[in-house]
Amino acid sequence: MRDVAIVGAGMVPFGKYQEKTLADIAWPAVKQAVEDAGIKKTDIEATYCGTALGGMMAGQRILKKLGITGLPIINIENACSSSSTAFREGWISVAAGVYDAVLVIGVEKLTKFGGGTLPLEKEDWEVSHGLVMPALYAMRARRYMHEYGLTENDIADVSVKARKHGVWNEDAQFRKEVTREEVLASRPVADPLKLFHCCPSGDGAAAVVICSAEKAKQYSASPIKVIGSEINSGKYMTGYRDMTSPEITLRGAKQLYEEAGIGPEDVDLAEVHDAFAIAELLYYEALGFCAKGDAAKLLADGETSVGGKIPVNPSGGLLSKGHPIGSTGVAQIVEIVRQLRGQCGQRQVEGAKVGLTHCTGGGVSGFDHGVCSIHLFAR
Amino acid sequence: MSEELQEALNLAGDAVTRDADGTVRLVGSECGDCGKKAYPPSDVCPECMSENLSPIKLSTQGKLYSWSVVHAAPKGWTLPFIAAYVDLPEDVRVFAHIVDADPDSLEIDMEVETRMATLGSDESGAPFESFAFTPVQKGGS
Repeated sequence: MRDVAIVGAGMVPFGKYQEKTLADIAWPAVKQAVEDAGIKKTDIEATYCGTALGGMMAGQRILKKLGITGLPIINIENACSSSSTAFREGWISVAAGVYDAVLVIGVEKLTKFGGGTLPLEKEDWEVSHGLVMPALYAMRARRYMHEYGLTENDIADVSVKARKHGVWNEDAQFRKEVTREEVLASRPVADPLKLFHCCPSGDGAAAVVICSAEKAKQYSASPIKVIGSEINSGKYMTGYRDMTSPEITLRGAKQLYEEAGIGPEDVDLAEVHDAFAIAELLYYEALGFCAKGDAAKLLADGETSVGGKIPVNPSGGLLSKGHPIGSTGVAQIVEIVRQLRGQCGQRQVEGAKVGLTHCTGGGVSGFDHGVCSIHLFAR
Repeated sequence: MSEELQEALNLAGDAVTRDADGTVRLVGSECGDCGKKAYPPSDVCPECMSENLSPIKLSTQGKLYSWSVVHAAPKGWTLPFIAAYVDLPEDVRVFAHIVDADPDSLEIDMEVETRMATLGSDESGAPFESFAFTPVQKGGS
């Protein structure tokens, strides 16, 4: 396998674009990534487009706007990990030498559903009995609170941090700080989770151009190396399982660190899948940033804020930046690319050399999550 | 159709039954080859892929692993409702609603038992029901 690097990144601010088509939401992100790379569109050999609910041929609908056609366009659905999966597929194709340069897109338009909880597959047994994503995370939260003494204040503080970071990110859906009191006073969604503990529904798109490390230099003075790529499905379990310990993330992180030959202590910043505030705390532990049961302390000590030891979600994360689900994987990567290039202004993680992205996807009963994809990047 | 005649739609189908005394009981599946039990019942074993599966009547009591009072859900569900995971002694975890309970009285790992309950209604207003759990009354009844 060859070394692979990212040479271009782009995204549109996440928000509500009800009047726009999916293609019109996405093309500016793609154009930005292509121009950022300085690559001729005829040099792009394939495109991998991730979307969960964007409908058939999303990639073709987007790329015809820009005339990037007549090349293989692969559309990928993997729930909230759709575009992290697309990124991995693009990485494999370049690493294996099939292509020298490919485009990866993540896109979603959730406003077409008119708000509310994410529409899940009704054939699933638990969904047909009323399971919604906030309830699943809420049950994780309650069990974790019981076993480790986590408080509602601790969970609220995740949202406070996310919103604080979001203020500094012009691509974030929410750019206003909130207090712990405001989080706790927001309307209940799935007790103990309140509205401000939940990522917003919205639309958005993100794109990156990747190529072989050998070719990267001709496009970019500061290519960002992909130093690890991992994807897994959850393990299906009909019986008891520990919902305080996200098995798929634990397993994936272990495998990824081994593959990359580094450990969590070498990671300078991370973009993790904080769809609900409790999740970020579970992932501190699963990704090895702290010991089991110590997540609240890591947050309270400021270690996961910009300026701390291991800033998590400097972009504002899903809670503040937003979570148009199929866009999220690539949008996380865009943030890491910009951080490693030193382009992030007030939210810049000083001296960042190694960044991690972590993206999950769920909504199927019997799994911790249906999918989890984790990547490592270095400058 | 008058309301009296409108029969509730049972979401669980054959996966729930009643004992002779009326006790609500979940019917899962048990693999004749490896012994793996599952709920809802399946026609193929997720452990060994055997198709030699039989229905198994599961325990009517279990432990409350976790729960949430749900205030936001798609149309049809009666809100708020209590969503929960209940662990049955057969190493089977079941997602279900908790009914006839004050949320403040619930405790992790408390004993709960089966019930049938109306959980919501479809677009035409027809009620749907399924199994649910309720806390076991302490001291028996």
